[in-house]
Amino acid sequence: MNVATYNKTTPYLFLVPALIIMVLGLLYPLGYMVYGSFRDWSPSQSLGESEFIGLGNYITLWNDPSFRESVGVTLKFAVSVVSVEMLMGVGLALLLDRNLRGMSLLRTLFILPMMIAPVVVGLIWRYMYHPTLGVFNKTLTGIGLDSVDWLGQHALLSVIIADIWQWTPFIFILSLAALQSLPRSALEAARIDGATGWQQIIHIKLPLMMPVLIVTGLLRLIDAFKVLEVILVMTEGGPGLSTEILALRISRTATEFRELGVAAAMSNYLLLMLLTLTVFMLVYNRWLEYLAQRAMTVAKEED
Amino acid sequence: MSAVDTTERRQHPAFYALIVMLIVMSVGPILLMLSVSFKLNVDVISGTSGLLFMPTIQNYETALCDVLPYELDHLDFCGLKFGGAFVNSLIIALVSTVLTLIIGCMAAYALVRFRFMGRDTVSGTTLMVRMVPPAVLLVPVFGLWNNEFCISKADWLGGLIRDTFGGRGDVCLAGTHSGIIIIYIAMNLPFVIWILQSFIVQVPRQLEEAARMDGAGPFQIFFKVVLPLIKPGLAAAAIFTFRIAWNEYLLASALSDRDTKTVPILIVNNMSEFNVEWGVIMATGMLLAIPPIIFTLFASRQIITGMTAGAVKG
Amino acid sequence: MFDISKRLVKTAVATAVVAAAVVSTPALANPYEDYAGTTLVVNFPAHPHYDAVRKILPAFTKETGIKVEVDQLPYLKMRERQTLELAQDEGDYDLIAYVVFSKADYVYADQLENLARYFMNPKLANPAYDADDLIDGYVYNIGFAGGNKGYLQGKTGSLYGIPYGSETSVLGYRKDIFKKHGLKVPENYEELLDVACKIPKLEPGMGGLSSRAASGHHAAHAFLLHLAPLGGRIFDAEWNPVVNNKAGVQAANALKTIVDCGPEGAASFGFGEALGSFLAGDTAMFLDTTVVAGQIDDPAKSKVVGKVGWAMHPQGVRRGSQTGGFGIGIPKNAEHKEAAFLLMQWLTSKEGDKLVALAGGNPSRFSTHDDKEVNAKFPHMAVFGEALQYADPDWRPIIPAWGKINADLGTTLSKVLTEDLDVQQALDGVAKRAKAIMEAEGYYSWR
Repeated sequence: MNVATYNKTTPYLFLVPALIIMVLGLLYPLGYMVYGSFRDWSPSQSLGESEFIGLGNYITLWNDPSFRESVGVTLKFAVSVVSVEMLMGVGLALLLDRNLRGMSLLRTLFILPMMIAPVVVGLIWRYMYHPTLGVFNKTLTGIGLDSVDWLGQHALLSVIIADIWQWTPFIFILSLAALQSLPRSALEAARIDGATGWQQIIHIKLPLMMPVLIVTGLLRLIDAFKVLEVILVMTEGGPGLSTEILALRISRTATEFRELGVAAAMSNYLLLMLLTLTVFMLVYNRWLEYLAQRAMTVAKEED
Repeated sequence: MSAVDTTERRQHPAFYALIVMLIVMSVGPILLMLSVSFKLNVDVISGTSGLLFMPTIQNYETALCDVLPYELDHLDFCGLKFGGAFVNSLIIALVSTVLTLIIGCMAAYALVRFRFMGRDTVSGTTLMVRMVPPAVLLVPVFGLWNNEFCISKADWLGGLIRDTFGGRGDVCLAGTHSGIIIIYIAMNLPFVIWILQSFIVQVPRQLEEAARMDGAGPFQIFFKVVLPLIKPGLAAAAIFTFRIAWNEYLLASALSDRDTKTVPILIVNNMSEFNVEWGVIMATGMLLAIPPIIFTLFASRQIITGMTAGAVKG
Repeated sequence: MFDISKRLVKTAVATAVVAAAVVSTPALANPYEDYAGTTLVVNFPAHPHYDAVRKILPAFTKETGIKVEVDQLPYLKMRERQTLELAQDEGDYDLIAYVVFSKADYVYADQLENLARYFMNPKLANPAYDADDLIDGYVYNIGFAGGNKGYLQGKTGSLYGIPYGSETSVLGYRKDIFKKHGLKVPENYEELLDVACKIPKLEPGMGGLSSRAASGHHAAHAFLLHLAPLGGRIFDAEWNPVVNNKAGVQAANALKTIVDCGPEGAASFGFGEALGSFLAGDTAMFLDTTVVAGQIDDPAKSKVVGKVGWAMHPQGVRRGSQTGGFGIGIPKNAEHKEAAFLLMQWLTSKEGDKLVALAGGNPSRFSTHDDKEVNAKFPHMAVFGEALQYADPDWRPIIPAWGKINADLGTTLSKVLTEDLDVQQALDGVAKRAKAIMEAEGYYSWR
């Protein structure tokens, strides 16, 4: 009897600590935030003391041009970053999927950018973009060209480049792993049939890698919305609002302007955006899988 | 057959060049940071070209001034409290990693073995949680940790804590190590559970059955049979959790006070308006980057395993 | 036996004599002795003046036995931290350095101690303090609250903090460059703008005037520097925004000219970069706070040591240099308020002020600016002393609503500088939004 009940309760016991932490650290705060977004809330008040203002914060934000600019910047950043990284990462993986000496060394060193603190990445790139001390301008003036005001006039581009440097390895490693787990038989068959390199890539490799690529792309897209420290250290959101992505704006609204209600409403907008994107991608992925399944059953029937 | 061989060989040099270029591009900036950290600020400003300068450890001395046993001439007072911040970072990162692993492991085991939810639900939940940017958590956590999750000084527990540890006012989660640790565990748990799940699934049930028939209880099965077999998964999870706790800036800066500052906070605070001392800043950046660099060089395999777990099935 | 008792008697008498001596010696006035052994926790910004303060704190501890633990943060972070700490029931900090425009917030929220009762306490107040020696513009701008307009001197005001680390604006210029091209040191704004744009032509690669211009606070600060001398104000006497009047447009155009003729990357310069550019020799002039003087003469940081001359902030229709910087005050929720007051008094006393000036900080007293030793080490002090006569306490409104308006002004001006937004249009936008904010805050309730 004892052993039986012990066995029955064990799964719960195993799960309880995790559940407590998740509730305390994630679910309750999120709920608190949603609740707080409907109130006029400042940091020194506890939530109960604040005034209820319904959708006031949401409407203020909707009409606030800085908010809209921030959303625009965030979308521009995320889309650029993910597309370039996917292209480069997958491209490099396709190119380097062969037995070359030095691959393992590359694999080891190539993940360094990802492992370093975003704060440090921001630091290094800020130094490299420096108008007089930075590597880029020194090289440009060295060969006789004009120096470029990276963090002033091309701030968004500079930040995008830094992010590409940091995260392309992620895409590369995942794509490589996907490539290397493809069934060799299909590739062999294609080669014997005389397919050129390009045809192999487009018709066999890419379609088979699709599920992994979509998940990777989705993960990267989600992470792109979270980028904050790199931008904070490099430009602090400036000049103007040209690099103030939504996450940074939320943190500024909370700590500098001290309007927690507005920040909470902004957070909800951001979460909604992310949720929409995620759902969209998952649906798209399911649809692609469905199409692939259909194609396979059709092929089988033809056999 | 032979046609294929020669084509491979002919392409090699270009690809080697590509590999070298990639390596230079990824490691280059880090080496740059290393070299600047050994330069005096005057050398940095005057822009002496990278390779010809007098290396000095002065920047590191400035950074570590509160743990060095000797006085420094070039400094009038020890401003940076890097030693203290390093210790804080270490405590927070280690404790949160260990706790996350323990709690995550147990939860993953329960989910797999006792079949509460399918793998898809767990994946879905992980994705949902991963979607939440730390900036979004910032707002409520800031409010809760400062105002709500508090033990009043008047209560016996609050009074006890104040008497032992000092400090003023009600005992709130903000400004304590535990406050930051809890939020890090919450942020990392879903991912750790996800990774460990895919490893636990591979442990054959027969081993557990055999152990149960020998009379082992569930806890014993877990610790003595399952855990040793998922060591690679544990290593990968540990590295990722440590990395996030070690590198994180936003939540730590909102939740720490002067005694619980971590290294990233120190670095950002140092980018002050007045005196951008690149040498010292780069030295602190190097010091922060050393553990991740060490992990990368020695445990790259585990890291890659961690990244690919779940994304690439099989 | 007899010997022992004789010795005992001798010891007893000796002890009695010593005891009597100790008791009858007039108590050497040590006002600090009640507080010796306390540790004060203070909040300072990362700022050259406060770096100098940290150098002299050991002298304070030596003299009084009171230890000081410093929490030094970048000044925006310091403000955030303070806002949190001051709102608690019991705070961590015994003494805080506050940014000028926080004076409005903190006093309004009743978070700072009114210093009256400390100066009334004979055990704490030092009769040799000589408060008249403190610089007027600074005292009224930074320490006084409740006077005219709510934030200036006046019969209804009182003191909540003492200026410490305050600054006014002054023009630094490269003597060597000016001599080389026979240029005259600009005295008014026409000359200033003229020279600023001539220099990049005469010295290729060099900027004219190094100015803050980065979005937000920096651009707003730079703009305000030019607004006051050109006769402009943000608000008129009834709090209507007039920043978009002729003087305002002129000031914004002046800023745009300066940035356009400035060094590479000028539009994104924060204060650190602007100063860095001047220190590296990339710009010929620097118009901003007096704080930088110490760094300019430091060979470890500057490449223009000995080449810099100082002149007063150029005149527009009037002279009006900025008043700003920091003040120190005692939080209402501090633990060791009296000891904190003693520290405050010591730091701003004649001796303390001189010590901090010699260590590279900003003096708060007229006497320190005229002191021989200080001038021997820092010859620019005399010019600064002269400039201080024109320090304008009203160059920037210090009201709780100012934070938002300042941020908006700064972001808008940054767009004028980087995106070529039309100046009049931009300022009209700022005025409109400012009016809405003022309305919400209740400034028009007495119409």
